[in-house]
Amino acid sequence: MTTQGQVRLENVAKYHGQVAALKNVELDIRPGEFFALLGPSGSGKSTTLRLLAGLDKPTRGRILFDGADVTAKGAQDRDVAMVFQSYALYPHMTVAQNISFPLEMEKTPKAEIAGRVQEAARKVRIEHLLDRRPGQLSGGQQQRCALARAIVRRSGLFLLDEPLSNLDAKLRLETRTELKRLQRSLGVTTVYVTHDQEEALTLADRMAVFMDGEIRQIGSPAEVFAWPNSIEVAAFIGSPPMNLMKAALKDGVPSIDGRPLDVKPVSGSPEVIVGVRPSAVRIGGDGIRATVDLVENLGDNAILDLSYEGGTARARVDDAADYAEGQTVAMSFDAKNIHLFDAASGRRLEVQ
Amino acid sequence: MPEAGAFSSGEPDGLSAQNLDRLERLREKRFAGALLAPALLALLATTTFPLFFLVWISAQRKDLAMPFMDGFVGLENYRQLLGDPRFWESLGLSMIYTVSTVVLQVAIGLALALLLMKMKRGQTLFRIIAILPVVLSPAVVGMVWRSFMLTPEFGVIDYLSITAGFGSRNWLGDPTLAMISVIVIHTWQWTPFAFMVLLASLAALPEDIYEAARIDRANSWQRFTRITLPLLRPAIVMVVIMRTMVALTAFAAIYVVTAGGPGTATEILNLYAYRKSFTELSLGYGSALAVALLIVTVLISFVLFLLRRERTA
Repeated sequence: MTTQGQVRLENVAKYHGQVAALKNVELDIRPGEFFALLGPSGSGKSTTLRLLAGLDKPTRGRILFDGADVTAKGAQDRDVAMVFQSYALYPHMTVAQNISFPLEMEKTPKAEIAGRVQEAARKVRIEHLLDRRPGQLSGGQQQRCALARAIVRRSGLFLLDEPLSNLDAKLRLETRTELKRLQRSLGVTTVYVTHDQEEALTLADRMAVFMDGEIRQIGSPAEVFAWPNSIEVAAFIGSPPMNLMKAALKDGVPSIDGRPLDVKPVSGSPEVIVGVRPSAVRIGGDGIRATVDLVENLGDNAILDLSYEGGTARARVDDAADYAEGQTVAMSFDAKNIHLFDAASGRRLEVQ
Repeated sequence: MPEAGAFSSGEPDGLSAQNLDRLERLREKRFAGALLAPALLALLATTTFPLFFLVWISAQRKDLAMPFMDGFVGLENYRQLLGDPRFWESLGLSMIYTVSTVVLQVAIGLALALLLMKMKRGQTLFRIIAILPVVLSPAVVGMVWRSFMLTPEFGVIDYLSITAGFGSRNWLGDPTLAMISVIVIHTWQWTPFAFMVLLASLAALPEDIYEAARIDRANSWQRFTRITLPLLRPAIVMVVIMRTMVALTAFAAIYVVTAGGPGTATEILNLYAYRKSFTELSLGYGSALAVALLIVTVLISFVLFLLRRERTA
C-alpha cells in the first residue's frame, strides 16, 4: 500500500442551473483503497467521479488530493487516470499509440515509452493487439486497451466509470476478478463507479451508497450489507433485495401477522418496518403462515415468492424440489437477522 | 436448362422459375434504361459533346479575324502553347491563386468552425451571416468589391487603410495589390463553404475522447494537433479537392473586378483562354489553352484523390 493517493471531498455540491446533481458530499478515501461509488442512475455517483477527474468543477466545496486543494485544477493538471464507460479510445490511433499517448503528453523519453507500453499491454493481456485500431477490436479488447492506457502512466488516482457495463455476463465476471488483482498489484487508490451492487460488494474495500445526490451510507461491503442504515440502502443492496414488511407495534414490540418478533421493544417510533434478507428467512417449524406463489430455481438454490396475511416476501432455500406452488409453509426469523426501520424517516432502529 | 432442374415445377412445358426471373430482370433493366435515357442524352449533349468539340477545335486553326486561314493543324496549337511565355505566366498565376485561396479558405474556415463550437449562444445567427457570401453570384460579388470596397478614397477597405495610417492605395491598379485583392475576394466568398463542411465534421466528433485526452494531460494545442486535425483530415482533404477544382477554373469575379489586369497581373489561365478565344477571336488556340487547363485540373485532382486514399488505408 502506498502512502500517497488520499482523496478528500469537503462539502461538495454540483448544480446544473437550479437542479442539484450532488448536494453536500463528504468523503474520505484512504491511500491504496478500492473505493466503490454505488447507486442507481441519477444518484450523483458519476457526477462525483467527474469532479474527482477534474472534468467538471463543483459548484461548492473543496476537493483535496493528499491534503492539497485541487478544486480549481482541470483534468490535465491533476494526476489522475480514468477508464470511461464508453472507453473513449482514440479511433485514429493504434492500440500502441493509444497506450503511449499519455506518456507522450508527459514528455517521457522515447526509449522508455516502448517498454512501458509493452508492460501495460502485457498486464491486461493485449500485447498481441498493439498494431490494431480500436475499430478492429471486440468490446472486451477495447476495454482492456482503455485499462492499459489508464495504468501506463502510474498516476496517483485511478478512476473507473462503470468499466464492466458494456461487457457480456461471462466476460464481466472474468474482468472483475482481473481488475481486483490488477488493483492489488498496482496498489493505487481506485474509485469505481457502478450501479451493480454485486460488483461493489465483490470489488470494494469500502463503498459509498449514493441516492438523490447524497451519500446515504459509507462503509465496507460487509458493514453496509449487515447494517444498512436506511430502508433505501437496505432495499438497494443484496439480490434478491431485503424483505421489507410492515409490522404492528404492541407495547413497542413489533409483530407480523399477529406474531410478536423476538426483539427488544422499540421506543419513539409509531410505525416500524421489519427487514429480513431472503437468505435469513427460515422455512418450516412454527411461524407466520405463507403460501408459495412461485418457485424460482437458480440451480444451486431457489427463491420462493411467498404471500402472507398482510404482504409478500421472498425466501432463499436450498432445494427447489422441496417446494411446490400453492403449498402452505411457515416462515420465521432469528432475532440477529432482523433489521428494524422507522417507517416515517426510513432510518435504522437499533435493536437487541 | 439443366441447372434449373432443382427449381423447376416439374411441368415440362412451363417456364422455369429461373427463366421467369431472368425475363423479369431484363424487362426491368429496359424500363430503367428508358427512364434514364432523357437525362443521359441531355448530359451527353451538354457536357460530353462540348468537351469533344473543344478538343476537336483545339486541333484546328480557327481565327474569326482571318477565316480564310482556317483548317486542320493537328498539334500545332499545342506546340505554340508550350513556347508561349504568357501561357506559362498565366499557369503560374493560376497556381498562386489556387494555392493561396484554398489554403486561406481551409485555415479561416477551420478557425471559424472551432470558434463557433466554443460559442455558447448566437450560433444560429453566426451561421446565417457566415453563409451569405456563398449564395451571391460571383459577378455580383466582384461588382460589390470593386465599387463598394476597393474604390480609392470611397471604398470601405481604402477608407480603413487611410484611417489606419496606411494611406490610400490603388488596390486594383497595382499588380501585386490587384492579385492580393482577387485572392481576398475569392476567399471571402467561398470560406463559408469550407466553414460549413468542417463545422459539420467537427460537431460529429465524440466528446468523450476529448475528455480522455484531458485526463491524459494533453493541453489544448495537443488536443487540436493530435486529435482534432487527424480526425478532421478526411473532411479537410475533401474540401481541398473541391475548392481546388473551383479555384483553378475561377472566372466571373476576377473578370468583373480586374478583367485580368492591370496588364496581365491577374490573368490566370482561365482568363487567358477566354481572352484568346473571345477578344482575339483565335478559337483554335483558345481551345488548346482550355484543354491544357482541363488537363492540369484533372491531374491535380487525381493527385489529391490519391493522397486521400493513401493515408486512410
